[in-house]
Amino acid sequence: MIRENVATSFQETQTYVEPATETRAALVVRGLSKWFGSEQVLDDVSFSLAEGESLVLLGPSGSGKSTTLRLIAGLEAPESGEIFLHGRHIEHLPARERNVGVIFQNYALFPRMTVAENIGFGLRIRGIGKKRRHEVVERLLAMIGLHGQRDKYPAQLSGGQQQRVAIARALAYEPELLLFDESFSALDPKIRVTLRGEIRALLKKLRVPALFITHDQEEAMELGDQVAILNGGRLEQIGTPREVYNNPQTEFVATFVGAANVVEACWRDGHIAIDCTQCPETAASARKMERSKLVFRPEDITLGLPTGLVETPYHLGRGRVVDVSFNGATETLRVQLQQRRQPGALTSVVPARSCGMEADSPCDLVIRVVRSKWDAERLPLAVGAPVSVGLRSYKTLS
Amino acid sequence: MAHNRSNLRHGVDVARPLGIGFILAAMLPLVILPLASIFIFGFSKGPVHFWDALMTPAALFSLRLSLMTSSVATICNVIFGLIAAWVMSKYAFKGSSALMIIISLPTAIPTAVAGFALLLVWGRNGLLGQFLEHTDYQIMFTTAAIILANIFVTFPLAFGVIKPALDNLDTSYEEAAETIGATRWQTFRYVVLPSLRGALVTGALLTFARSIGEFGSTIMVSGNLALKTQTAPLYIFTKFNEGDVEGANAIAAVLAILSFAVFSLILFTRQKLEK
Repeated sequence: MIRENVATSFQETQTYVEPATETRAALVVRGLSKWFGSEQVLDDVSFSLAEGESLVLLGPSGSGKSTTLRLIAGLEAPESGEIFLHGRHIEHLPARERNVGVIFQNYALFPRMTVAENIGFGLRIRGIGKKRRHEVVERLLAMIGLHGQRDKYPAQLSGGQQQRVAIARALAYEPELLLFDESFSALDPKIRVTLRGEIRALLKKLRVPALFITHDQEEAMELGDQVAILNGGRLEQIGTPREVYNNPQTEFVATFVGAANVVEACWRDGHIAIDCTQCPETAASARKMERSKLVFRPEDITLGLPTGLVETPYHLGRGRVVDVSFNGATETLRVQLQQRRQPGALTSVVPARSCGMEADSPCDLVIRVVRSKWDAERLPLAVGAPVSVGLRSYKTLS
Repeated sequence: MAHNRSNLRHGVDVARPLGIGFILAAMLPLVILPLASIFIFGFSKGPVHFWDALMTPAALFSLRLSLMTSSVATICNVIFGLIAAWVMSKYAFKGSSALMIIISLPTAIPTAVAGFALLLVWGRNGLLGQFLEHTDYQIMFTTAAIILANIFVTFPLAFGVIKPALDNLDTSYEEAAETIGATRWQTFRYVVLPSLRGALVTGALLTFARSIGEFGSTIMVSGNLALKTQTAPLYIFTKFNEGDVEGANAIAAVLAILSFAVFSLILFTRQKLEK
């Protein structure tokens, strides 16, 4: 009962926050499932994409994100589920009748056609006359800034140029949706960042809804108005990049989108506590204890001198630095937390005052901490240094 | 790129001159001398003599017939090879590997056996030939028989080149064409076919090269009638048997040159078109 209530109120807030209701959505995917032989690669996946927005399907390889894209494009057929494009049922249509533009991972530019012929292909097969075709191709070439390359062949272009041609080729026949299949993974990291920015600006200008596929969480954050995280064929969470990062609903989302510390924790007398071993089931208060997981980001930790308390809402007690690495703008540390000796006596996260100064013994709980350059300069820490560990915010997962 | 390993070592690498020397020594009596002798003997009595031997009606006819029958067989086998490669590459079906073997079989069969087999089918009392017996149409001992024999012995050559090219063609090109809105035919016509250009040309040249020199099956099915069903290789054989070495030599030289030309073209297309 309680769970249901929570679920409904959550959905209501989502509807309120996000105006993309199904009637206004450009793309609606409902209950999509797909098997390859006896293996289920997609399990009841549903999401929608608003007009002019971009959605990123993020997940590791084998999560079903590419399959989802291929189902929407019409290159695979689903076992069950529905796909609507601007209110039109499309899951039974062949790919050529869906009016969807796909930018493939290798761009799949036709090797025997010039850049201009590639871009004009969609119009040519639709029987559009030479003159009109020429106009459209010239306009698109100007848009992607490759006017000088119109008569070159794909093999003569750089990866970034090929990607732009692939986008122009898809835009030429004015598709209702653009699908990008890991379109940045083949590019040089520096070009990748520049192109992402360009494509985002272009999509906002053209107001074409776009679906991206990636395993790169940084890319997902940058490109997506919404990010959907897939794992093992299931949709784990969908939301804005901010929501997904700050409010992960599952451990997978927490660790896949950005770095996260996930530690075992349990509730005790209204406080949450972390431990290295197991929650003492035999304790008198066992019934009131509920096992849970505590998630916090490396940047949520503040380190201080072991003699003082750090000015943060919560405390994790004391620890010892076991590793320091310099990343430029930030510094990453690994800190081993120290635990009080008595079994069952847990280091409280809430409230701070329970973090006593008793004799500590090391435990094998090591957390990851990221500090800004300035914090690192203010309190330089070397391997072996004792610290007190403060926590600014955390989330619990059931 | 192509660093010669022996350059990196100190001193003289003996294996290199010895190895090259061995290859040349082995090839001299086996390949190089026989080829060279065609030209040495062909022109030994002067180019005028060579020209006269070549310009006899029977010699010219045999060359024309060889070119014609080989071209027809080439066209047939390239078309067949393209369709067969498409089917075998795109569709998985029961017995497809057995079909693969049957398609590839004809080159493994001795050409005389192939010719004999054709006789058994199209001959007067053959499986299919018996139905032609009382009509005006005859297959055996005509140009059609030569073409049939050529098709048979070169059957899998074009297929063998086109099939791997089609297998290696990234399916994303076809998928891209499909999402752009192309029909299957348009995808084939504008995307697949241009990508197979090199394989088609190479396959055609291989078939032609093999076909133009065909002897064993042709002599079985053609009847070797001068000015009727005598191809260039049969002409060489016949003239030599009759003791006309010059006549045989002239056509042999022309065939050899033709083969060099086709072979160079194959190397050229491999380099230029298949990429």
